[in-house]
Amino acid sequence: MIIQVLNGLVYGGMLYILSVGLVLLFGLRRVVNFAHGGLFMLGAYAGYAASMQFGFWGGVVFSVVALAVLGALLDRLVFRPLQNVDHMITVLVTYGLLLVFEDFVHTVWGADLISVRVPALLAGTIGIGDTQFPVYRLVVIAVAIAVALGLSAWLHFSRAGLYVRASSVDSLTTAMQGVDTERLSIGVVALGTALAGLSGVVAAPLIALSPSMGSSILIESFIVVVTGGLGSFVGAFIAAIVIGQVHNFGVVYLPNVSSMLPLLLMVGVLIWRPTGLARTQS
Amino acid sequence: MSLLELESVDAAYGKAKVLHGVSLKVEKGERVAILGRNGVGKTTLVNTCIGVARLNGGQVSFGGKKVSTIRAFTAARSGLAIVPQGRRIVPGLTVRENLILGSAPNRSGPWNQEAVFNLFPILRERADTLGTAMSGGQQQMLAIGRALMANPDLLILDEPSEGLAPVVVDELGDALVRLAQNGTSILLIEQNFGLVHKISERYYVLSKGSVVEQGSMRGLSLESLKKHVSV
Ligand SMILES: Nc1ncnc2c1ncn2[C@@H]1O[C@H](COP(=O)(O)OP(=O)(O)O)[C@@H](O)[C@H]1O
Ligand SMILES: [Mg+2]
Repeated sequence: MIIQVLNGLVYGGMLYILSVGLVLLFGLRRVVNFAHGGLFMLGAYAGYAASMQFGFWGGVVFSVVALAVLGALLDRLVFRPLQNVDHMITVLVTYGLLLVFEDFVHTVWGADLISVRVPALLAGTIGIGDTQFPVYRLVVIAVAIAVALGLSAWLHFSRAGLYVRASSVDSLTTAMQGVDTERLSIGVVALGTALAGLSGVVAAPLIALSPSMGSSILIESFIVVVTGGLGSFVGAFIAAIVIGQVHNFGVVYLPNVSSMLPLLLMVGVLIWRPTGLARTQS
Repeated sequence: MSLLELESVDAAYGKAKVLHGVSLKVEKGERVAILGRNGVGKTTLVNTCIGVARLNGGQVSFGGKKVSTIRAFTAARSGLAIVPQGRRIVPGLTVRENLILGSAPNRSGPWNQEAVFNLFPILRERADTLGTAMSGGQQQMLAIGRALMANPDLLILDEPSEGLAPVVVDELGDALVRLAQNGTSILLIEQNFGLVHKISERYYVLSKGSVVEQGSMRGLSLESLKKHVSV
């Protein structure tokens, strides 16, 4: 039982790191980024490619930095121009980007599944109760917790974090106070895409790499963001944990309908609270 | 030195032209009012200074320097702090956080949280509650405090008395008088003649996007101001 909960936390943690990037992006640019799953996939492949040369940890660093740079470029070329256009266009353009990323990976690495080895340092298992649990999985949970705590501390105790929170609810007023919200947005979008890269590279040893790996997790990360309350960091955290559990429970006990469960949960939450878990006022 | 100068400014929202050849000036230490009915373009003057309305012609200068490209943050960083119409307290931030936001231009001067709390003691009491949870008058005080946190050379207020009860307007007026006595330069956009008469030394009257009248408030009683200014 405790093993099931831990596995749920591993998936939920991964989902959180990915989803929180979506939240950041939506907050600053009001863009719903369908390419986010593609960034998750690119992060995994970038880490895999770099790890051939520089080892697993080199791959992690490379992936995060590369995705941050890509995010800054995307902000300039795609997200900023999209922030004031019809939402349908945003969906089409970012979905198109997802396809471009998938095609790119398909061309460079092919469609075959690639598995990434857990780094030697974390390859062991640890006894929990009377079963053995992989150390690497515990590390994934720890990384997710570190990201959550770090992000929350940054948002609430730093000046830049205050600007980010202010700008995601009223960017004009924030700019009127003297904040360069354009520069802030580039940084925040880069942070969001870097986190997508991080989640991809961290997830790589747990799931096989394939060009389509981004599409399936994208749906669940959207469910996390919507269930949590669009734009809410705390909501996304809670929703990711819950959906990680639901996902894992489904895979183990109800394999036939497992992919439906998170969706049903979202519908349930939205009926109970139309603005999502974290949004109490309108 | 003029803190704010508009020379023959034409401004528009998209194709909708709102300001036509507006010229006005606020010198250091001055307290100037802009009067005019709803919809004549008073807020558009402010919006032109932050790039929300497009400058189609003419020239805008902050602190004696021509502004070539106006961005939303330019005015604040050049020492012009705006108390916007409708206050625009940022939701989700506490009173204190709204004040810290105001200090973003990072200019030195007499204003800090403590000084703002001394001017508006209620803000100290409510420091850790959400800014938007306060009453309209308190939010207006917060908006003014937030602007002061920038240690501005010029304080621009867009209809601060709008929607407030007369007693609250009086309280606000007293605070503005105190600021005026300390030599704060003020550009006050108002339709409340009493407040304008209390604060300003000079006025412009705006009508249909143009300055139709201007003058000195010296020796002008409140009654004659009302009569004189046919708005
Ligand atoms: N954001 C906007 N977009 C388009 N038109 C606007 C906008 N804001 C104001 N206007 C128009 O510009 C004119 C002047 O408005 P405004 O400057 O707000 O007047 P005032 O502040 O004097 O009441 C009005 O006709 C108004 O409808
Ligand atoms: Mg107005």
